[in-house]
Formats: sequence, C-alpha cells, structure tokens
Amino acid sequence: MKNLIIIALVLFSFTANAQVKGVTIQASGLTCSMCSNSIFKALQKLDFVDKVDANIKTSSFEISFKPNAVVDFDKLKAKVEDAGFFVANFTVTYNFNALAIANDKHINVGNTVFHFLNVKGGVLSGEKKIRFLDKGFVSAKEFKKNSSLTKMACYKTGKELEKRIFHVTI
Amino acid sequence: MQRLILLLFAFSFKAAAAQELYVFTEPASNMAAKSIGLRANNYLMFNKSTKETNYHLVPEVMWGLSKKIMIHAEAFLSNRNNSFVAEGGGAYIKYRFYSVDEVHSHFRMALYGRYSFNNSDVHQQVIDLIGHNSGYEGGLVATKLKNKVAVSASASYLYAEDNYKEKFIYGNKNRHAVNYTASIGKLMLPKEYSSYKQTNVNLMLEMLGQVNLNTGYSFLDIAPSVQFIFLSRMRIDAGYRIPLVKDLSRTTPGGFLVRLEYNIFNAY
Repeated sequence: MKNLIIIALVLFSFTANAQVKGVTIQASGLTCSMCSNSIFKALQKLDFVDKVDANIKTSSFEISFKPNAVVDFDKLKAKVEDAGFFVANFTVTYNFNALAIANDKHINVGNTVFHFLNVKGGVLSGEKKIRFLDKGFVSAKEFKKNSSLTKMACYKTGKELEKRIFHVTI
Repeated sequence: MQRLILLLFAFSFKAAAAQELYVFTEPASNMAAKSIGLRANNYLMFNKSTKETNYHLVPEVMWGLSKKIMIHAEAFLSNRNNSFVAEGGGAYIKYRFYSVDEVHSHFRMALYGRYSFNNSDVHQQVIDLIGHNSGYEGGLVATKLKNKVAVSASASYLYAEDNYKEKFIYGNKNRHAVNYTASIGKLMLPKEYSSYKQTNVNLMLEMLGQVNLNTGYSFLDIAPSVQFIFLSRMRIDAGYRIPLVKDLSRTTPGGFLVRLEYNIFNAY
C-alpha cells in the first residue's frame, strides 16, 4: 500500500512539473516523398504515438501522443534511422509547471533526467520548446561542435550510472 | 529519333539535380528496415540474329532487413527458347557502410553482392547475371544526393559459372569481367511537395558498361528512363538501353525495361 502511494506520488509529480505536448523531428538525408513516407509509416507504428503530421518539403514530422502514454524519445529517433535516415532536429514541446533549471546541471523531470546546456537558468512555466542535443538527435557535425558546452562525461555516453540522461537546450 | 531523345535528356539535366531510385542500377541507399518491396521487371530485348523480341520476366521481392542491410530475391523467366519458362533465380545483398546526411542531401557508400543460377543455354560472351548466366558479382556503389538531383557510380567484379545444363563455352579465362555504371536522376515533378498523394516524375540517364578482363572487349550502353511514383509507394519505370560500344558480343544488345513496383513500409 505504501509503495502504491509512492508510485502514485511519483506519477503525480511527473504530470505536475512537466507534460509532453508534442515532438517535432526534422530528418536529414532525404528529398523524395517515398523516403518521407517510409519515416511517416515507421513513426505511426509506435504504440505511444497518436498522430503524425508530415511536411514533405521540410522533411519534418509533428508527432502527438496518446493520453497518459510514456513517450520514448530514443524509440522515435530509432524509427527515423531504421528508415535509413538521420535526425537533424528534435524538439519537444513541454507544458512546464514552475520547473527550476540551471546551466550544465542535471534536472529531474518526473522519470526523465535532463542535462540543460547553454541556458541561463531560471524557472520554466507554461508551454516551452526544448531541443535535444544528444548523439543521433542532431547532426554529427553539431554534436561535435556542442561538446565544448560541458565537461561532464554523460554528454558522450548519454548515460550516468546506467541512467539515461538527455542533453537539452532551450 | 534516338538523337532526339538524348538531346531532350541533355537539356533537362542542364539545371542539374535528381533522385536516386534508378531504373537500371541500385543506389547506395537501402530501403527502410522492416519494409517489403515487390517488383515485376519486364525486359523486352531485340534479338538481332533471329529478329525476334525476347521477353524476360523477373519477379523480385525486396526486404529491408535492417537500416544498413537489404536483400533481393528474384526469379528469371523468359521465352528466349520459344516457350515461356522459368530459367533460374538470384539473390542480391547490399550493405550501406558509410553515410553522411544533411537536410536535403546525403553521400552514401555501399557494398553489394549477387549470386545467380540459370539453367538456360549459354549464348553470348557478355556475362549477364540477370536471366542469362550462373555466377556471382561483388561491387561498390557511391551515391550523392542534393536537393532534386542524385548522381551515382558503381564498379563490380563478375564471375561466370557454368549454367546448370551447359558449360560456359567461351573459355575459362573469359569468365572474369568488370561492370561499371554511372547514373544521374532528377526530380521533375512535383515542383513543390505538399502531400504523399502527389505523383512524382523522375528522369534518369544511366551509362552501363562491361569489360571482359581477359580479352579487354567491352560494351557500353546509354539508358534513358522515366519514372512515375504514385501515392509515395508505387512505382512505374520505363527505360531503354541504347548500345554505344559493341566490342563484346551480345544476342540482345538493346531493348526496353518496364518495371512495376509496390512498397509496403513497416510491413511487420
């Protein structure tokens, strides 16, 4: 019973301080509509995805999710790569409820750990977009360039003590 | 007439830019993982000695095994010896090992291999693993795509084995050859994308050559083609091979290829 209360509290706190509203992915390496369609179909296959809106011209995909679904960012990225392409831009729209952030620090947002880079710090409230900077979520060139933003090892591995750390900026 | 077609193609490529889903060759890119493609390749080749048209049907199944590896399996049927019969089959594998992608451009390289078996007669010095010879091939392909244009080049080594019933009759030294190709493709329509339902039109121009490593004899064809893509998953290709260099003897040097293709993305 006690565990149940803790779980409920954790879940509550997750929905309380930030909620994923949607994800926008721009893919690289393609120009044709058949290539775009292969990514579109792959993204739709994920069980937590509700709807995908594709813009063939810009190779971008706006993704919305099923209510209360746990969004797996790595799985979204993998679907683009499985189709034979790469992610150039990965932006998540969150609804924040007074989340305090600081530059080059790990911040818990529910079950997810964010490592904020190149930010001023402060409190995030309302609908905000955060951009992922992890390997595979930006171009290889940009990933290399951004390595000067932190000295922490988790930037290279995406992990700290086996826990997934997402590197993000605003 | 041939000159007119070539002129038209030369003109359309002046603006330079295209797509890489070539008609006579494969690009370095693979199809999406967990996707399946079905093809009916129809070759109408003109036999210069009998004055007959040889029809080769090559049904083909393509499978995206992973993001880097894809496999084709194909069967060879033809009416070359009067009745329309199945003559063999083949398998093709492609491994994309290098990829640098940017928004609306990429450069990729892949290794590929093919094995074919055939039980028809051996009838020409040229080694053709699609419907004529048993044997194997291994090669490298590089493809550059930028906006609406893609260029690609490949080189491969071929070895002709004996066919099932017949020996390779042109001498053991002549079993070795090199194939080389150069391709350019350009997206003509739509001018601007707005939906997956728009029909895409691509124009392609390809150079297809072979050199026998023993004799040094070669052939070189130029092959213009047009491609329609419907609903971002169906393809109709129509191309024509025009022989330019004909040192290496072939029963059917020129002819049409008409291909129908259907893709099932994320099939499982």
